[in-house]
Amino acid sequence: MFLHNLKYELLSTLRHPALIFWLMLFPIFLGTVFKIGFGSIYEEDTLFSSIPTAVVETADNSILREVVDAVSGDDSPLLKTTYTDEDTALEMLRSGEVKGIICSGDKVTLTVKNSGIEQSILKSFIEQYGVYETIIKDTLENDPANAQKVIAALSADVKACTEKPVTQGNTDLFVQYFYNLIAMVAIFGSETGLHITKDNQANMSSLGARRNISPTPKSISLSASLVGCFIAQAVCMVICVTFIVFVLKVDLGGDLLLVYASSIVGGCLGVTMGFLIGSIARISADAKDAVSMSVSMAFCFLSGLFISNIKGIIADTVPWVNSINPVAIISDCFYCLNLYNDYTRYSVKMISMAIYIVLFSALGVILTRRKKYASI
Amino acid sequence: MKNTVVKAENIIKRYGDLVALDHFSLEISEGEIFGLLGPNGSGKTTTINCILSLLSFDKGSIEIFGKPMTPTSYDIKKNIGVIMQNVAVFDELTVYENIDYFCGLYITDKAQRKQYVDEAVEFVGLEDFLRFRPKKLSGGLLRRLNIACGIAHKPKLIILDEPTVAVDPQSRNRILEGIEELNRNGATVIYTSHYMEEVEQICTRIAIMDKGKKIAEGTKDELKRMIRNTETVTIEILGLEDRIKDRISTLPHVYSTEYDGTKLTVGCSGGKHNLVRILGVLQENDLSFGRVYSELPTLNDVFLEITGKALRDKED
Amino acid sequence: MQVFNAFMKIMKKKVVISVMYLWVFAIIGIAIAFSDGGTALFEQNSLRICVFDEDNTPESRALCDFLDKDNELVTLENDRDIILDALYYDRVNYVLTIKKGYAEKLAAGNTDDLFESMKMHDSYSTVYMGQILNEYAGTVSAFIAGGNDVVTSVGKAADVLSQDAEVNTASFGEEDNAVLSGNASLFFRYLPYIILGTVMSTLCPVLLKLGKKDIRFRTNCSGLSPGSYMVQLFAASTVFITAVWLVFMVIGAIINGGMYSGTAWLAVLNSFIYTLFSAAMTVFVVSFEPSNLVLTILTQIFTLSTSFLCGIFIQQEFLGDSVLAAARFMPTYWYVRVNRMLAGEEPFDSSLAVTSLLIETAFAAAFAVLAVLVRRAWYGRASAVTA
Repeated sequence: MFLHNLKYELLSTLRHPALIFWLMLFPIFLGTVFKIGFGSIYEEDTLFSSIPTAVVETADNSILREVVDAVSGDDSPLLKTTYTDEDTALEMLRSGEVKGIICSGDKVTLTVKNSGIEQSILKSFIEQYGVYETIIKDTLENDPANAQKVIAALSADVKACTEKPVTQGNTDLFVQYFYNLIAMVAIFGSETGLHITKDNQANMSSLGARRNISPTPKSISLSASLVGCFIAQAVCMVICVTFIVFVLKVDLGGDLLLVYASSIVGGCLGVTMGFLIGSIARISADAKDAVSMSVSMAFCFLSGLFISNIKGIIADTVPWVNSINPVAIISDCFYCLNLYNDYTRYSVKMISMAIYIVLFSALGVILTRRKKYASI
Repeated sequence: MKNTVVKAENIIKRYGDLVALDHFSLEISEGEIFGLLGPNGSGKTTTINCILSLLSFDKGSIEIFGKPMTPTSYDIKKNIGVIMQNVAVFDELTVYENIDYFCGLYITDKAQRKQYVDEAVEFVGLEDFLRFRPKKLSGGLLRRLNIACGIAHKPKLIILDEPTVAVDPQSRNRILEGIEELNRNGATVIYTSHYMEEVEQICTRIAIMDKGKKIAEGTKDELKRMIRNTETVTIEILGLEDRIKDRISTLPHVYSTEYDGTKLTVGCSGGKHNLVRILGVLQENDLSFGRVYSELPTLNDVFLEITGKALRDKED
Repeated sequence: MQVFNAFMKIMKKKVVISVMYLWVFAIIGIAIAFSDGGTALFEQNSLRICVFDEDNTPESRALCDFLDKDNELVTLENDRDIILDALYYDRVNYVLTIKKGYAEKLAAGNTDDLFESMKMHDSYSTVYMGQILNEYAGTVSAFIAGGNDVVTSVGKAADVLSQDAEVNTASFGEEDNAVLSGNASLFFRYLPYIILGTVMSTLCPVLLKLGKKDIRFRTNCSGLSPGSYMVQLFAASTVFITAVWLVFMVIGAIINGGMYSGTAWLAVLNSFIYTLFSAAMTVFVVSFEPSNLVLTILTQIFTLSTSFLCGIFIQQEFLGDSVLAAARFMPTYWYVRVNRMLAGEEPFDSSLAVTSLLIETAFAAAFAVLAVLVRRAWYGRASAVTA
C-alpha cells in the first residue's frame, strides 16, 4: 500500500514539470551567475599580489633604489614598481594603475589616492626605510664604533614570524556563496513540501477528500507523500551539487560524498518545513506560499546569502541565531566539512538537521492528524 | 426486509449560525438507487460529506453497513465508492495511472487490480484515452474519468454527488445507464442531483431536501401523490370571457384556472375525465380553440409545490 | 475603470500577504543599512588583531602596546575552531602568538621565529602584519646591536616606529561627494533587490488572478478595448507600487537621519524609476501566465542574479570587466552607477547620471511595450487554439 502510494506520489511529483524544471534550473542558473560574478575576486582582491607602485626619483637616492629593487625582485615580490616621472606617475595613480607613488627627494614621501590596506603596506614600507635610515644616521653620529653591528643587524634577513595555515580546506571566501546557494535550494524544498498537506487534507482539495474516504490510513498516505517529496528533492540536490562541483568546477572542500549527504539531508529539512507550514492553521494557499517564501528568504539573509559576513556579525552578537537558523545549519555543514579537520562540529550540524526534520514532521503530523473537518 | 446500508439519524450540522442540516434522518436499503434532490444550498453535499465522515457534525449518528462510520473505519470505506462533485484526479498522471492509483488505495492485489482497472476503463469507455493527461480530456471525458476513479474497486455502496454537471446529453445518458448497470450488479447507489429528469429516470426512492431538512421522501409515485395537482390541462383559446372561466373553475376537481389572453391553464386534483368536462364547457358556449394539452405532474411540480421554488442549474 | 477597480479590490484581499512581504523586505533593508555591508571585507586601515602572549614578559607586553596603537586588539578563546570562524568571517584579521622565550631570544639578538601566526590564506593583512613584525624585530635588534639593553631598545623602537611617514593624498578634484549618509547609501544600494523582490512578490498574485484564462476570455468578450485594458492595468500597478515605493522612501529618510536634500533627491528619483521598471517587468513576466511556483523561482532568479551581477551584493569595483560589460544590459547596473556617485564611491558626473536615468526609463518602457506585445501574441495564440 505504501509503495503503491509512493510510486504515484513520485510519478506525479516528477511529472510536475514546473517544480522539477525550476528547482533544477534555479541552482544551475544562479550557480553560473555566482561563478561568473566572483570567479576571480578571491584571487584578485583577497589574496595578496604585488602592489603596483610608481617610483619617482627627484634626487639621486641609490639606497632607496636598492631597497625598492630588493622588494620588487623576489619570487613573490611586495611591490611591482615602475620608474617614471611625476606627471606620468600622477596619471597612473588617478587611473588606478598604481596604488601609490614613492617619491625620493630629500625625504622619501608617499602619495596615494585613498586609504586602504595596500596603501598601508606602502606606508609601512617607506616608514621602515625611514626608520632604518634614521637609526643608521644616529649610530654613525653618536656611536660609530657600533655602526657595523647595527647595519649588520638591520640588513639581516628578518623572519620573525612563521605562518601556520589554520586549515587545509579551500579558504576562498566566495565559496560560502555556493554553500548558501545549496542551502537555499534545500530550503526551497519547502515548496515541494507545501503540497503534501494540500493533497492529503479533505478540506483543502477534492483530491485530499478522495484520499480521506479511501481505506488507506492517513499515516500511510502522508508518509508516502513525505518520502516521495524527499526523493524528488534529493534528486534536485544531487543535480545542484553535481553541477556546482563538476560543471562549474567549484571546490567546495571536504569529502564530496558527505557534501552530497548533507545537501540531501538539508533538502529533506526544507521539505518538512514546507510540510509544517502547509499544515499550519487554515490560511489560504497563497498565504502559505508567501509565508514559506518569506521565512526561507529571511533564513537565507541571516545565513549571509546577500552579505557574506552577516553570519560573522550574528556569531559575535547573537550566536544562538546561527545555531537555530536552518539555512545557516545547512551551509555550516559544508563549511565544517571544508575547514575543520575533525567531524565533531559537522556531526552537531547534521544532528541539528535531523532534529529539525523529526520536529517539523511530527508537528506537521500532529496538525494534520484531524480526520474530520468543521467545514470543507 | 432488505439490509440497511446507510442509516443517518437526527443529524445536526451548524456552520456558525447557519444550520446546514437540521435533524436530518435517512435510511437506505440494499439495492436501492436513492435520489437526494434539493435546490442549491439545501445540504445535499453536506449530507454526503457527513455520511463519509469527512465533516464533523454537532449531533446525531451515522451507520453504514450496520456499523458506526468513523474516519478510521477502513473496513467500511473499502466498500464505498465516491464520485465527487469536483473532478478529483492528478493532473500529472495519465488516465490509466489515475484509475490505477485510486483503485490501488482499495485493492492491494496487483492482478486483481489490473483486471478491475481494465473493467473500469471499459465501463466508462475511455479505452482510447488511456495515455492522455486529464488536461487533454473534454469535460464529459473528464467526468467519466472521475467516475472510473470512484468505482474501479467495485464498491457495494456508490455515492454520486452531481456527477453529470456540465456533461453533454450523450455522456449523461451513458453515465446514467452505467449507474443502473452498477445497481443491477448489486451496488446500492446514493445519487444527488438537481436534474429532475435524471432522478425520475433512475431512482427507486427519492428524498427532497430544503434548507437542511428532509421535506418529503418516497418513490416517485408516492411523491406525486403527495401533491394536489394530478393533471394540468392547457388550452389555446382567444377572447375567453371571465364568465366562462368562472364556470370552468366551478367544475369538480378543478382547483385553479388561469388565463393570459391566449392560453387557459387549468389545474386539477384527482378525478377522471377532467379534460372532457372542460372541453364540454367550451363547446356549450360555441367557442373554438386551438391545441389542447393534458400533462401529468412531474417531479418538478412536486418540487415546486413542496419547496415553493424552482430549481436553478448551478450549485452555489 | 473596471479593471482598475477590480485590481484594487483583489489587492485589498491580498493585503495581508503584501504587507508581510513588504515587512520582510523592509527588515532585510534596514538590517543591511546597519550592518557594515561587506565593504570592510576589503578595505581597512586598522586591523583587528588577536594576540596570544605566551611569553608574558615586559618585552612581549610592550609589543602588544605597540600593536594596540594603530590596531584594534581583540580577545578570542585559544581554540582552533573559534579562531578559524573568526578569521573566515573576517571578525579578526590577524592572529598572533608571541612564542615563549621571545624576550630571551630578542636579547640574544636572534630575530628568527619569534612569533607564530594563524592564517587563512596569503591575504594583504598577513603580508602587512608580517612586514610590521619584521620591522619591529629588526629595529629592536638594531638598537640592541647598538649596545642598548632590551628594555631601552624596545622603548626606542616603539618611538622611532611610531613616527609617521609623510603621506600625501592626491585629490584629482574627487573630494568626498557623498550626499547620503553611509547607512542610507547602503540602503539605497540594496534597494533594487528589495524593490524588485517586493514588487514581484506582491504584484504577481493580483495580476495572475486578473489574467486567469476564464476571466481573461470573459474580459476579451466584453466591449473593453485591449488598449484600455492594458492602460488600466499599468495605472493600477503604478498606483500600488508607488505606495510600496513611498514606504521604502520613508524608511530611507529615517535611515538617512533626515529628509533628503539637494542631489540626494536624485537617489529618490533613481529608485522611483527603478520601481517603475520593476512593475513593467512584473507585468511582462505575468503575461506568460506562469504558475505560482514558477513565479516564486523566477522572482528569486531575477532579484538575486541582477543583485550579484550588477554590483549590489558585491561592489562593482570587485566585479570583473566582462561581468560589468554584461551588466550594462541590465537597468540595475545603471541604478547602481547613479547610487555610487551619490554615495561618493565614484566622482559625480551629471551627464552620466542623466544617461543612467534615461537608460533605466528606457528599460521600463521597453518592458511595458514587450508586455503589450506578448499579451497580444500569446493571447491571440491561446484564443486561436481554443477556437
